[in-house]
Amino acid sequence: MNGPTRRRDAGDRVFVVGVGMTPFAGFRDDATVRDMVVEAARSALIDAGAGAAAVDMGVAAYESDHFNRQMSLGHVLHEAVGLVGKPAVRVEGGGATGALAIRTAVMALGSGAARSVLVFGGEANGRSVDRSTASEILAMSADFEWETPVFGTFAAPYALMITEHMRRYGTTPEQFAAVAVKNRRMALDNPYAHKGMSITVDDVLASRPLSDPYRLLDASLLSDGAAAVLLATGDWAERHASTFGDRPPVAVLGTGSATDHPRLSDRPDDMFPHFAAKRRAAEQAYRSAGLDDPADEIDVAEVYDSFSGAELQAYEDLGLCPVGKGGPAAAEGRFDLGGQTPVNTSGGLLGRGSAVGATGIAQAVEIVAQLRGEAAGPRAVPDARIGITDTHAGVGALSVVNVFGRAA
Amino acid sequence: MRVHGVERGVSRAGRPTSLFHIEMSQRYRHTAGFADPFYRGIDQGVLRATRCDGCGAAWFPPRPFCPVDLAETAWYDLPGTGTVTAATRVHIPPPFGGVEAPYLLASIRLDGVEGGITHRVLGDRIPEKGTVVAVKFMEGVPAHPLLRAAFEIEGRAA
Ligand SMILES: [Zn+2]
Repeated sequence: MNGPTRRRDAGDRVFVVGVGMTPFAGFRDDATVRDMVVEAARSALIDAGAGAAAVDMGVAAYESDHFNRQMSLGHVLHEAVGLVGKPAVRVEGGGATGALAIRTAVMALGSGAARSVLVFGGEANGRSVDRSTASEILAMSADFEWETPVFGTFAAPYALMITEHMRRYGTTPEQFAAVAVKNRRMALDNPYAHKGMSITVDDVLASRPLSDPYRLLDASLLSDGAAAVLLATGDWAERHASTFGDRPPVAVLGTGSATDHPRLSDRPDDMFPHFAAKRRAAEQAYRSAGLDDPADEIDVAEVYDSFSGAELQAYEDLGLCPVGKGGPAAAEGRFDLGGQTPVNTSGGLLGRGSAVGATGIAQAVEIVAQLRGEAAGPRAVPDARIGITDTHAGVGALSVVNVFGRAA
Repeated sequence: MRVHGVERGVSRAGRPTSLFHIEMSQRYRHTAGFADPFYRGIDQGVLRATRCDGCGAAWFPPRPFCPVDLAETAWYDLPGTGTVTAATRVHIPPPFGGVEAPYLLASIRLDGVEGGITHRVLGDRIPEKGTVVAVKFMEGVPAHPLLRAAFEIEGRAA
C-alpha cells in the first residue's frame, strides 16, 4: 500500500482558515458559474480575514465545459477571485473533483510550493441546461465507447451494484429509502441546501422508477452552486488570517485517493457490490491521520450519496460499519443525528444537492462548521472533533477521502 | 451558436436578471479507433476480444497491447456466451435511442476472456445472478453500432 504513513507534526499541519459557499439551487437565474465562484471565494476570504493578495496559489475545481459553457474556466475563475499573477492549477476528478482539489492544495502545501492555497469550485448543473441537453452530457460520464450506447442514466450501474448487494446481504429498498428520507430531512435545517423535504419511506417507494430498484427519490439532485476553502500553514495563518485565533482551529489531518476500473463489468466478482477505491482511499486517509478505529473516532461525515444505496455501501467501505451491515445500520438510525456517526448533516447530494466541482468543497464547508461548533439548529453534532468527507467519480472509479480535525 | 431571444425579468432572489436563450450544436466524426475489428465483427455475427500471445492474458473490452510484456495483442473470436452478475430494468431509453424503455440491462461476465460487458438483455423478466446468456445479433440498422448485439437468456448455470 502506497501513501503517507506518519502522523503530521504540528509544524507542518495544514489548517482550514476560511470556508464559504453559495446556496445550492435548481437554477441560479441571476448568477453565472463565475459569479457563484466569486461569491463563495469572497465568503471564504472574509471568513479567514485575509485578502486575496496574500494568498500564494489557486486551485480551481470544475468538471464540465459542456455544463459551464467555458473552456479553460480555471484561469478565468483564478483571475475573477483576485489571484491573477499567482500559480494556478485546475483539477478534475468527476464527482470527486472538489475533494481532489483540496487534496491537491494539501500536496502543494506539504511540498513547500505554497504556504496558502485558495481552493474554489463551481458548476452549473441545474436547469439552465435544458433536460435533453443535460441527459446527453451526463451520458458522456459513462465510457463513451462501451457503455454510453447502452445506458444513459447513472441510475443503471448504481442499480446493478445495489442489486448484488441486496442478493448477497439481504439489503432492502426500505433500508436505502431511509437514507433518502434522512438526508432530505437534514437539508430542511440547512439554509444552503437545494431542496429539503419532509418525506417518508413510502413516498420514496411510490416515486417513479428509474432503474430497478432505484426510484426518483433515491436519486440525488443536480444543482447550481459554488464553494471555496482557504488552506494554509499555521505560520501563514498567524500572520495573514486575522480570524485564525478567534475560534477552534481546524486542520486537515489526512487525505487519501485511489482508483478502480471505471467500467463496472470489468471489476472482480467479489468486489462487485463494493467501492474498492473508496476502501483504499479511506485506509490511506485514516493512516495519514493516525486513526485506528474510524467507527469510534469519526464524529461526523459527509458521504457521497449520489444514490441512496450508495450511502449505505459507503458506510461499509469507509469502515464505519461492518461489510454487509450498511442496510440495517441505516434503518436503525446509526448514521442519523444522535447515532454513532451522523452522516450528511448538510443534506448530502440528496438534499443539499450537487454542483459537481463544488460538491467535495461544500462537504468540507459543512465538516468545518461542525468542528468549529458553528453548525446551527437541530443538525449540530455536539462536540465533534474529527470529521471526514467522501466523494467518488463515476460508480467509484476515483475516490477521495479527506479527514479534518479540531486542533484545539 | 445562436441567440434565440433575451428574457428580462426578476430572479428568484428578487434581482433584475436577463436570460439569453442560446443554442449550440456539436457534430462529430467519431472513429471506432483500435476497436474497429470488434465493430466489423458484430456486423458479421461474432464478438471479438484480444489476447497476448506472449503470456496468454486476454481482455474484453479489447486492448491494443499487453501491459505486462508490452507485446501487441491479437484479435480472436469469443463463443458469445456469458453469465449474468446483476441485472436491472431501466426506465429511461439509452442516449442514442434504438431501444424502447423499459428495457433490461445486465452486467455479464463473458466466456473465453477475463472481462465483461454491461449490455442489453432481451425479454421482460430481470435475470438473476448466474443466468446464462448468449449474444444475438439484431437485424436492420441499429441506432448505435454497439446495439447490433444484445443478449438472450439461455437458462441457469449448472
Ligand atoms: Zn502478455
